[in-house]
Amino acid sequence: MNQLIVMSTNNHILQVQGLNIYYGNFQAVRNVSFDVLRGEIFGLLGPNGAGKTSTLSAIEGLLKPQSGSIVVAGNDIHKKPLQAKAAIGVQLQATSFQSELTVSEILQLYAGIYGVPMSREKLFYILTNIKLDEAAGKKFGQLSGGQQQRLSLAIAVLHEPELVLLDEPTSGLDPQSRRQLWERMEGMREKGHSVLLTTHSMEEAEAVCDRIAIIDHGRLIAIDAPHSLVDSNKTNPEVIAASRRGRITLEDVFIGLTGKAIRS
Amino acid sequence: MQTIPKTSTAFSSLLRADLVTQWRNRRSFVLLLLVPVIILISWKGIVEKFGGPFALSSCITIGLVAIGLMGYSNSVARDRDKGIFQRLRVAPMPAWCIMASRLLIQLIMIALLVAIIFVAGNNIDHITLSPFGYIVSFLAAIIGGAVYLGLGQLIVGLIQNPETVNSTSRLTYFLFIMIGMFGELGVLGDQLKKIVLWSPYGTVKRIIAAGMQPGTWNSEMTLALLVTIGYATLFSLIGIKKFKWNNK
Repeated sequence: MNQLIVMSTNNHILQVQGLNIYYGNFQAVRNVSFDVLRGEIFGLLGPNGAGKTSTLSAIEGLLKPQSGSIVVAGNDIHKKPLQAKAAIGVQLQATSFQSELTVSEILQLYAGIYGVPMSREKLFYILTNIKLDEAAGKKFGQLSGGQQQRLSLAIAVLHEPELVLLDEPTSGLDPQSRRQLWERMEGMREKGHSVLLTTHSMEEAEAVCDRIAIIDHGRLIAIDAPHSLVDSNKTNPEVIAASRRGRITLEDVFIGLTGKAIRS
Repeated sequence: MQTIPKTSTAFSSLLRADLVTQWRNRRSFVLLLLVPVIILISWKGIVEKFGGPFALSSCITIGLVAIGLMGYSNSVARDRDKGIFQRLRVAPMPAWCIMASRLLIQLIMIALLVAIIFVAGNNIDHITLSPFGYIVSFLAAIIGGAVYLGLGQLIVGLIQNPETVNSTSRLTYFLFIMIGMFGELGVLGDQLKKIVLWSPYGTVKRIIAAGMQPGTWNSEMTLALLVTIGYATLFSLIGIKKFKWNNK
């Protein structure tokens, strides 16, 4: 029999407390703490190398932090990794499926891994929903970037996870595909799922995120709703100096808080 | 409400996918199996001079080296580079399932290799063994296969870049085969012949050959078996300890 997971009774689907991650002597994440609420789209923003992907990797259980705790749906990711992972759907930054397998085979593989019964009708429904019904027999390596992204997202939500982690999901997508992905994220929120995404796009953060956290040099430097962040930083001289059109935008706040210097 | 899927269900799905992937890579799959058969067919003189067990054990050993060094290590290095392991590791499934599935595929390959060599040996060179000889040499081939899978693991443990893994495994394969075959025959001198006899090539080949004639098994073969197990353990332990799931 499948084992039921202990459900968290509070309103937090994800709780990150005092996270510290080192690579050798380099500290990539410094005492980061934040929560994601149920039914919330939460954006993690930061320049390149700020610590976003390291934070996300720790939440996914791919790397063990030196200190701090991560609790997903009431399950500590290191004490109960399988329970925590069962509550998470993941879309990694790089699309990462076996290029020799077809779209249908990849869906069936992950349905088996996540314990999702996959009838022929359900498979067809998913394929139609992500507009890959005609590409069902195509190998993953033959799909376009947008098609790969859609398949990757469909697999991330295959088991109806409580929390979906998306690492720069719209990078490289055309405007149509990006809009469609935003609508899918909003659809997930309507169903009560939570989404944690990393992004470089301020437009995306403003368009879909209920709250955002800005991370820089491994530290969390701001966390709030996008419009609240803009409002609370309107008089910040660095933000005003970063403004290009007289009107303060989220990007101005981001540049003002993280600086203009290009990161690696 | 989320449930943890059964490990057996997850594992069987993964195994099926790995089998399909292996089948779709038929060209390399056929090459791995075909090279030892071609050598066996072209070795009529060797069979007459040194006997059937010598020829069969040499061909099986060459196939085992190819499976472990070129098949296993290259597929692991390539999938690690593509991020396939990372995607599987974020799923609610024990990480050992990922490698266990890969190793099971290689064991199937080893079983296929041994069966093909036995059939080819029987049909082409009329080499027949006793039923016990077939069983013991098959088991010896599995143990020998573990040495080269361990060596393949060691290579992907120590080297991250898939192109470097590919070139290193090819070079190691070539060195093993050339030094092993010619060294064993004494062409490269007596000193090297002794070294080759106790090398991973020599011990594996000797336990397979002795397994084909269980009556000839002696204390030296038992020692060769222990050395073989030692090589497999050593290579695997270092390979697993040094292995990184992600090469970024």
